[in-house]
Amino acid sequence: MFKSLSVASVFFSLVVSGTLLAGPLGIGTTATDEVIAGWDIDVRPDGMGLPVGEGSVAAGEGLYEAKCASCHGLFGEGEGRWPVLSGGEGTLDTLHPEKTVGSYWPYASTLWDYIHRAMPYTAPQSLTDDETYSISAYILYLNDIVDDEFIANKETFARVKMPNEANFYVDNRPDAQNERCFKNCADPKLFEIVTTINGVTPTGHFKEDSGVAANHYEGNPSAASEVGTSNEISTTKIVFSDTAVLGEGVYDKACQACHSSGIAGAPKTGDKTAWVSRIEQGMDILNVHAINGYQGEDGVMPAKGGNMSLSNDDVINAVAFMVESSR
Amino acid sequence: MGKLYEPALPKLMEAMATEARRMKGMDRRNFLKGGIAAVAGLSSVQIISKVNASSNLPPNLPEWQSHLGPGVVSKPYGEPSEFENLQRRTVPWLTVDAASSISMTPLQDLEGIITPSGVVFERYHGGIPNVNPDQHRLIIHGLVERPLVLTMDDLRRFPSVAEIRFIECPANGGMEWRGAQMEALQFTHGMLACCEWTGVKLSTLLDEVGVKPEGKWILAEGADAAGMSRSIPLHKALDDTIIAWGQNGEALRPEQGYPLRMLNPGWEGNTSVKWLRRLEIGDQPWHHREETSKYTDLMPDGRARRFTWVQEANSVITSPCPEKPCKQPGFVEIRGFAWSGRGKIKAVDISFDGGVNWERTELKGLVLPKALTQFSYKTKWTGQPWLLQSRAIDETGYVQPTLRQLRDERGGWSIYHKNSIHTWNVTESGDVFNVQIS
Ligand code: HEC
Ligand code: HEC
Repeated sequence: MFKSLSVASVFFSLVVSGTLLAGPLGIGTTATDEVIAGWDIDVRPDGMGLPVGEGSVAAGEGLYEAKCASCHGLFGEGEGRWPVLSGGEGTLDTLHPEKTVGSYWPYASTLWDYIHRAMPYTAPQSLTDDETYSISAYILYLNDIVDDEFIANKETFARVKMPNEANFYVDNRPDAQNERCFKNCADPKLFEIVTTINGVTPTGHFKEDSGVAANHYEGNPSAASEVGTSNEISTTKIVFSDTAVLGEGVYDKACQACHSSGIAGAPKTGDKTAWVSRIEQGMDILNVHAINGYQGEDGVMPAKGGNMSLSNDDVINAVAFMVESSR
Repeated sequence: MGKLYEPALPKLMEAMATEARRMKGMDRRNFLKGGIAAVAGLSSVQIISKVNASSNLPPNLPEWQSHLGPGVVSKPYGEPSEFENLQRRTVPWLTVDAASSISMTPLQDLEGIITPSGVVFERYHGGIPNVNPDQHRLIIHGLVERPLVLTMDDLRRFPSVAEIRFIECPANGGMEWRGAQMEALQFTHGMLACCEWTGVKLSTLLDEVGVKPEGKWILAEGADAAGMSRSIPLHKALDDTIIAWGQNGEALRPEQGYPLRMLNPGWEGNTSVKWLRRLEIGDQPWHHREETSKYTDLMPDGRARRFTWVQEANSVITSPCPEKPCKQPGFVEIRGFAWSGRGKIKAVDISFDGGVNWERTELKGLVLPKALTQFSYKTKWTGQPWLLQSRAIDETGYVQPTLRQLRDERGGWSIYHKNSIHTWNVTESGDVFNVQIS
């Protein structure tokens, strides 16, 4: 009796849930046009979403300088390590590709959309539509994509063509093919074993003597900056650390061409003022910059000074020599 | 059973609790201390002398066994033992600001495939918003029959699912395209986590709003300062996308998108938009900043791949690793994780000689699609150096590639999707270093 009842109730509930799922469940409230409009901020390459309104390169210049240049630089070159917004044309297939709005972005609409939703970084969605048109126009101008007469609005903006648009294609992975081989799958004689650069990884949590204890974002970079240098620098005479002594030869060979004279914007070795803020960044950043190369505000520091036959340690030693000579 | 129900003890506890509730501050704590000692049948003098006993090791009585510990709800929300040091960690110089940065999961300390919510890696483009769930809404609109506004309560009424899935930032390992750089597993592979996610399938919500035939893409948008936005193709949404509010059995953590996020299993983490506030159905992709300027893969010819969503099969040995060296010769179980965005892990092989010869490992525990999968190999370490590698094979037959194979295809500047075979150099001393064989 009991048993047959429960079978019946299971059967009954199956039927109910089956019928219910056939159509909408009737959950939620209709989204009115008014409610949607407040949140519907997206813009597409075909111009969908661009609002009425207008802006000019001329108006954009002042707005950009007031609201954006402190991080992105007056010409979009990027202050310090904040993102670069201009330049980089012709670099994408080189060993130092620089991806910017001008060199990389495929659509101008993305610029309008992103600035409007996320910039300025500390005050997102604070720009008016007209301000967004003007600032976007100005950044396109900084990238030589529009001229200084350009007036941006719904129609003109959707017509802007970006130089790199054709160079994107849809993911074609899987690409690299490996085989599930078990015996003699590689030739150990051809192995070149590359080790890590010491002192750039926070390791204080598992290495007692690491000296790099920056576990957290607000970590103390000075711990890292001590790596590879000596504390015994006297005020009158430079006492070089062992690392720096090793680095002198490398410096003479590969770095002094730029750094002894200061050509191409290179900070001169021994020029304390030129080095003080660089040294403040900590040795790890200097090492990474010297090993990988970077575009700074004063010029381009090529990876390993352009001498790729140097090992990472060689470069680290040379940096130690330069830093210890310059403080 | 009988002993536990000894009537005197619960009554005494209850009386003490009532008494304590009437007191405040110091008084209350002192009372409780005295009371607890009384319950244990020890005077406080006796307790102190036990604490001072020199060793907790056998044959001595451990200090913690000589008195009662804190009772229930001494911590209403529990936390790891004070002796543990489970932490997300970051590499500060990687990014310019903490609100647009990344921290990594301590893979070296994980004991299974579920990543505890508190140490799931973080990636923000505009920091963590503090969203009040009562005032949070999900709007679904665009090419639909019935545009809807849904509250969190509305969402919970839909039939729900719960799935264990990994989530991985496509930049995981991205610092190592051009050379070994990070000295720890947490930083080479830690932009990875695996949780149980609870929510409603996006396909269920799409049935509710009725997608028009022209609808092919969905814009997912977050309620954070970055207004994170990604275009998701309808085929993914109809397949396995989850709109999740639960993570490992509780509400999502703020860091993971509280109160609501998208989860695209097996796809690059950035597509799984957090703090989800809006889904717009359209007929073409939006090409927003995170799918053009970022999260596109630059190839050596200067062209770039877009919509590189899937996280291909990958694996790493978590023990030994730089943080967990070989401490003594003898038996070792080599352990690690493998995962694939295309489905289940079929097998994992390991090599001790840098990829010349390979051995099969055993898969352990649950083997779920698009989830971390554990592998194990039992052997002896007698102080000989090893170039340890692992190689994952997924159910599609895809074999995790070597670094050289990946570099030959993609050069060194594509940032994302570096899933190559990883090498740990175990030295004679048992220390473990990150190296690359090229
Ligand atoms: C306080 C510093 C700061 C200010 C001021 C600022 N930005 Fe940004 N900007 C950033 C950061 C940080 C990012 C990268 C955010 C991320 O990681 O997602 C960024 C990214 C961008 C990008 C995308 C860059 C790329 O290559 O993807 C653009 C475009 C941009 N900002 C434009 C602007 C404009 C326009 C303004 C002024 C209205 C502005 N920013 C003000 C910090 C700033
Ligand atoms: C072709 C010229 C050139 C050569 C050769 C060169 N550098 Fe530089 N280096 C530069 C320039 C230019 C800068 C400044 C970039 C800037 O900050 O604008 C620089 C900056 C640096 C910095 C400062 C980094 C920072 O973050 O401020 C270091 C350290 C450095 N170089 C190390 C080296 C070492 C080591 C070598 C040799 C192995 C070397 N450089 C060779 C041009 C050069």
